Amino acid sequence: MLCLETSNLCHRYSAAEAVLHDIALAVPQASIYGFLGPNGAGKTTTLRLLLGLMRKQRGSISIFGRNLDTHRVEILRQVGSLIESPSLYEHLTAAENLALLQRIHRVPAARIAEVLERVGLGGARDKRAGAFSLGMKQRLGIAAALLHRPALLILDEPTNGLDPNGIIEIRALLTALNREEGTTILVSSHLLAEVERLASHVGIVHRGRLLFQGTLEALRRERHGAARVALHTADDSHALRVLADAGIAAHGSEHGLLLPPMPPPHIAALNRRLVEQGVEVYAIGAEGGDLESIFMNLIGSRAA
Amino acid sequence: MNRVFLAALRCEWLKRRRSLGAWLVIAGAFFTPAIIVLVRLVRRAGLPQLYADPQFWTLHWRNAWESMAIFFMPMAAILATSLVVQIETRNNAWKQVHALPLHTATIFFAKFAVILLMLAQFLLLFVFGVWLSAVLPALLPGGVAVPPAPPLRQFFADTALYYLDCLPIVAAQYLLSLRFNHFVAPIGMGFLAWVAALSALSWEHANLVPYAYTMLDFLRDNPEARRAVVSSGMHGLALGWFLLLTAAGYVVFATKAQKG
Repeated sequence: MLCLETSNLCHRYSAAEAVLHDIALAVPQASIYGFLGPNGAGKTTTLRLLLGLMRKQRGSISIFGRNLDTHRVEILRQVGSLIESPSLYEHLTAAENLALLQRIHRVPAARIAEVLERVGLGGARDKRAGAFSLGMKQRLGIAAALLHRPALLILDEPTNGLDPNGIIEIRALLTALNREEGTTILVSSHLLAEVERLASHVGIVHRGRLLFQGTLEALRRERHGAARVALHTADDSHALRVLADAGIAAHGSEHGLLLPPMPPPHIAALNRRLVEQGVEVYAIGAEGGDLESIFMNLIGSRAA
Repeated sequence: MNRVFLAALRCEWLKRRRSLGAWLVIAGAFFTPAIIVLVRLVRRAGLPQLYADPQFWTLHWRNAWESMAIFFMPMAAILATSLVVQIETRNNAWKQVHALPLHTATIFFAKFAVILLMLAQFLLLFVFGVWLSAVLPALLPGGVAVPPAPPLRQFFADTALYYLDCLPIVAAQYLLSLRFNHFVAPIGMGFLAWVAALSALSWEHANLVPYAYTMLDFLRDNPEARRAVVSSGMHGLALGWFLLLTAAGYVVFATKAQKG
């Protein structure tokens, strides 16, 4: 069952500048959906449209099975969000910032201390938000999103500004929320490694187009497809001739010679053959499998 | 008033805590009374004659309202409205406000109501300050009797009409503050509009200028005014401008393509 679904979502800032093309997100209930893409890919624009922060131009958005256009207020009662930098009133304390939202969401006042404790700000409740570090502000922004126990959390790069320890803590917090309370989490990031550690489902957006959507397992298969064997030798042209004789398609690149992925025993055999043919092998390693390579692979496969 | 609107109003009221707008209301309300006290303490020799005047409260009230109606009240409306809206812009918080489960009208009118309440607070503090500025000079240097009870009913009736006169400025500034993100734009435009209204006071159609009503109200019965000001029907016109500008402000707010 889907918690959030979009179809044919398009957006343009001007006639010449289309930022989203036919985005069709499908976020399953109780999943952690990693919305992955480089900066400027259209992640934040998509998330802002999902929250009604921008006027939708084309397409449809359905959350909890209801149309956002006609049920915006009912939907937002069950949604917590953090878009770009946290929205905090710097002249108010951490507790006062949450008290504002507590009044709107009509949750018990005790919940303020609870969420502050949960994000590690229990000792800073009476400190003004303006005196917070970037990481503390981010934590308070997450606390604000969690305050009313939303069924869906929409977080735009929530670990921005956090130190490595903070990143681990927030990741653990989100995982626990998802596991213990069944909260569906839609989290955007430009870091594949970050999403891999957190998400159960992934959507990859690039230049406003959704290039991939599926489970993390399916992404790993794509990633495997993007991986190459990189070969560094003393004489690449000689090595290319040896490889061609062995029926292996290889080509030169800035990373050395790139070969299609192959099982480890084949790599060992290939190394032996090169050495026997008088090619000095400096290094053999894996190349690709990073976000950029997956993008290139996905773009290549869509173009084909 | 439904519960959701009340919750939004309480939320907006909390936001103004410790804000520049909140301090401005207090400082602005007591500024003129403080000056009156200071001047009377410096010129204490004239106090017995002043305090013995049977028209003491009328003269004192008019004296206090002179700078208020001409300058401080329009300025307070311009600054307080812009600063309250600026709380959201400066803290990059509009996006959070719009992601709350609130209708656009609730967001718009809750914030507007807070500005109107702040203006009322400003005037009530001013009235208290006016009373205090009459009593303090009598108590501090001594030598004159504390004035009798002021005509409070008249004070509040006058204040209510000044409040009504100021509403078009608040509505216009609210519209401008919602339209322009940088606070300099609404404050600058408001200041220019006030200067224009000041220049238009002796114009035959001055009663059509939305920023002029507090000034017209003060000057209409003033024998010292250089020429008669046109103030006919100004309270009705002020209310009309207020409703028109509020409606325009709501349209601007509700039709913004980017909300935060």
